[in-house]
Amino acid sequence: MPKHKPKRGNPSIDMTAMCDVAFLLLTFFMLTAKAKPQETVVVDTPSSISETKLPDAGILTILISKEGKIFLDMAGQHTRKSLIEDINSRFQMGMSEEQQIKFANAGSFGIQRKQLKQWLDLPPGERGTFPTEGIPVDTADVNKSELADWIHNARLAQFRMKQEGKVKEEYVMVVKADKDTPYPAVQKVINTLVDINVNKFNLITNTESDPGKKKGEKPAGEGK
Amino acid sequence: MAEMQTAESGGSKKKGGKKVRSKKMSTRVDLTPMVDLGFLLITFFMLTTTLAKPQIMALVMPEKDIKKEDIEPVKESKVLTLLLGANDKVYWYEGITDAKLDSTNYAAEGLRQVILNKKDKVKGQFGEEDYEDFKTKEPRKGSFINVIIKPTKEAKYKNLVDALDEMAICKVRYYVILDVSELELEFMKNPAGGLKFNVEEQIQAATQ
Repeated sequence: MPKHKPKRGNPSIDMTAMCDVAFLLLTFFMLTAKAKPQETVVVDTPSSISETKLPDAGILTILISKEGKIFLDMAGQHTRKSLIEDINSRFQMGMSEEQQIKFANAGSFGIQRKQLKQWLDLPPGERGTFPTEGIPVDTADVNKSELADWIHNARLAQFRMKQEGKVKEEYVMVVKADKDTPYPAVQKVINTLVDINVNKFNLITNTESDPGKKKGEKPAGEGK
Repeated sequence: MAEMQTAESGGSKKKGGKKVRSKKMSTRVDLTPMVDLGFLLITFFMLTTTLAKPQIMALVMPEKDIKKEDIEPVKESKVLTLLLGANDKVYWYEGITDAKLDSTNYAAEGLRQVILNKKDKVKGQFGEEDYEDFKTKEPRKGSFINVIIKPTKEAKYKNLVDALDEMAICKVRYYVILDVSELELEFMKNPAGGLKFNVEEQIQAATQ
């Protein structure tokens, strides 16, 4: 008996299922990918051989632009809300609830405290065009330095939130400066941090290959 | 799929009757390019999400209030001072007494060589010494140098990171960032004049 040859089907494969899978994955990656936070300044960081990765949550970033203007960005809406409530009551800024919520959702900011309300009333897209000199720093007197006040109280706010169980970690301090930032601007920030007893912080860098590792040899001296 | 096929066969029956229709095209769309596009985008998102995370470099600064009792003297011949100057130049000198100012750049054969030479020199002079591991407190052996990084006003942030990076590459265990002093600025302008550091004055200034 001859073999019964089944009717030959269309050789093209149905792509619908594969397409479904592809787009499902695409959607997943798009949603999990963190939207790049809107940054008021473009900062081109220098490179280093460091391989430590930036932690996911709980970072307080101090941005220093090419011109030496200082911006701040802190993670966590709860912390930001708590911080602005504190700032608002201490300096009697008279911010509305709406403005406080706007602050909690805003990204990085680099304005004087007295201009904060004005800045928050702008639509988020126009905030970048607001003329600013960055957050004022007073290196001579820490108590007058707005930067020191922001950082110190942000850490306190984060600590409060940690105790309330709303966040898991305390802030990791991160300095992100442009590679062409003049050193005095960086020095101001470092001095401010040391003044408020933040002696350990991190500098954001790009990756660069380690010349010691690349050649597979240890640099002379250590550990031989 | 099956439905589509029946639809097609139904269409062909009609064909003999009334209108002369052009051959009916299959309603199936070839999804291959769409899948291609989908996977291309997936690859893109996968790669960007993992690579976007920047690196950090930890930096520990000395405490602000240092007491005189806490100061531990270091051997002058182990100290290498780097003055980060303008236009990507590093000025460096060893020790304090009869310090000679020299300059180099941030290239691999520049600053790195200076540090490695210094390490070799110190190793030759002092040999291996006992020390305690910072974290584990284990006794270890090794030679070490003390590097003082002093960025001047003209230095860029990149210079500082480069210098710190060299510390990591050359595995320098003890380094510190300090402010540049007037005497050193003078020294940079006039290297022949020599460095007139007074150790006592320096300690006084640091601990006030």
